[in-house]
Amino acid sequence: MQKASSASQTPHLSPAELSYLYTSLALPGAPIRPDGRSPTQFRPLCAETGILPGTNGSARIGFADGTQAIVGVKAEVERTDSGELSGSSSWVQISVEIPGFRDDDALPVFLSEMMREALGGVDSDTETDTGSETGLKGRLVINRRWHWRLYIDVLLLSQPLSYPLPLLSLTTHLALLSTKLPKLKSQGEEDPFFDDDWEVAQNLYPRHSTTVAPPITLLVVSVGENIIFDPNREEIAVADAVMAVSVTRSEKNSSAKSNAEEGNLALKPNPKLKLLSIRTIDPPSRLTQPGVPDAENATTGDEEVAGVWRPRRGGVKRAVVANMVQLVLGEVGEEVLQGLEGFSVHT
Amino acid sequence: MPLDTSTTYPLTRLRLDGRRWNELRLLQAQISTNPASSGSSYLAMGNTSIMCTVHGPAEGRRGEAGGGAGNAAGAVVEVDVNIAGFASVDRKRRGGGSDKQSSRIATTLKAAFQSHLHTYLYPHSTISIHVSVLSADGSLLAAAINACTLALVDAGIPMPGLLCGCTAGMSGSASTARDPKNDELDPLLDLSLPEEQELPSLTVGTTTAIPVGEDAMDDDEDETMKVSLLNMDAKVHYTYLETMLAVGIDGCTQIREILEGVIKGSNKIVVPRSDIL
Repeated sequence: MQKASSASQTPHLSPAELSYLYTSLALPGAPIRPDGRSPTQFRPLCAETGILPGTNGSARIGFADGTQAIVGVKAEVERTDSGELSGSSSWVQISVEIPGFRDDDALPVFLSEMMREALGGVDSDTETDTGSETGLKGRLVINRRWHWRLYIDVLLLSQPLSYPLPLLSLTTHLALLSTKLPKLKSQGEEDPFFDDDWEVAQNLYPRHSTTVAPPITLLVVSVGENIIFDPNREEIAVADAVMAVSVTRSEKNSSAKSNAEEGNLALKPNPKLKLLSIRTIDPPSRLTQPGVPDAENATTGDEEVAGVWRPRRGGVKRAVVANMVQLVLGEVGEEVLQGLEGFSVHT
Repeated sequence: MPLDTSTTYPLTRLRLDGRRWNELRLLQAQISTNPASSGSSYLAMGNTSIMCTVHGPAEGRRGEAGGGAGNAAGAVVEVDVNIAGFASVDRKRRGGGSDKQSSRIATTLKAAFQSHLHTYLYPHSTISIHVSVLSADGSLLAAAINACTLALVDAGIPMPGLLCGCTAGMSGSASTARDPKNDELDPLLDLSLPEEQELPSLTVGTTTAIPVGEDAMDDDEDETMKVSLLNMDAKVHYTYLETMLAVGIDGCTQIREILEGVIKGSNKIVVPRSDIL
């Protein structure tokens, strides 16, 4: 059984093959990927939304490697105890079901927590604590005494061939885009009372919005100085660092502007996108054994031999991470968000 | 839940969803839905929808029952049933592992397909079936049997015939002996969830008998059906059992034709329809 927190599975590649793959991916400026994609190009995927009539919102995505996921979102009305209008991250509940794993195995728990973090942590920072509607939990408030509780059930339909986080995150994004809640008929602080006509139900997230969208989490790897998106299994195996980067659309452009004015890292991020979290899934040192003296450690012993793969050591450079963030906040994140919106237009 | 099946049915002879006693719900199915598995299928019986994937026959994973070496006599069938949280009307809370209903379905499916498939062809290997219930509206076991059959056909695992499942019930509680002169209760075919909760029902799975001896060469115009699975959770007077079984077996025959159509229809891309005939 693979280690739950690690994205890399045992690659059936020889040291020479791994070294070849690493060298071609690390070519300065122009990495050559095994399937001929450009570094920011995603594999084709097929998606559909609104597939489960019994849910508030649902989506299915199939990746090119054949892995598929289905997400169903169900909403319930619940009484608010604290009387707050800001919302609580416990109102969103995510469960991830992966064939061959129990619910309480490390991988499903880790994945669901990572996705819940992106969803629930949206407006936890100081700039949006004024009851903003940007985040998901702000949208779930009905009034002072009532709120929606959202159950997001994620089903992976096939064995995880590569690290399933991007698939699950993109499917959840689509499902949330297609989620509708019944139209509220009661006003103010009354007990909630809804219109029973599903036709007039309102979208949880507004359509074609340039200001708000559910978050997405992308898997990004760095090989040498290169940043590579949507890595396949072999690319993950030789990557230096594997990171999960979560972004969403931001309502307030001012904060991004002020950052730019401060000359923050000289980045020119798209002001419409906001970085939510960066998480290291795998550090470069993941393949080196801990607690082994250098003299006896096979990965630190002899000097490099050309053409033979050696596990990486050490960490990842700040400049690489900054570059990664810039790319995600730039055109790549925007392209992915727009592409996914395209799927949900017809529903 | 007070539903009106038992009060309105005798008056209208129509069930809650407007069907007559012998009508199946709309059955739609697809095979080869998931390219990452050996075989896969999607099946919807009314509002019950199920996705099924099959992996194998392949070498069993180490550390599982059979010690990785598997069974020398034949393949081991493993079934894993997952009823999604959003499958029913109210979201179901699950604590840890799997619930009782899904493990019962898994055990029944495992027993049914272990003896149904020609497992002796694949010694030391495992055929693992994964069933995901996307939407549950009654007849879960029957729908799961049909979905598994389709996925196993898609995976190309040899079997003597299609194993088809169907439910049958009675339109009343049927707890007293049947009165042949004043027969008030009708048998019902393919129960939906409200009916299943209220009325006694059974699930029957049938397959065609393996042709042996002289009959082997006969054209199978009148195939004899063999019951290979029978499951009943309700209490019913034994005098009704024969009727229910007969209706269930008849339903299986209808489902069998639909499934055969699905399997033949899915070949269109490879072999044009005109060439088959």
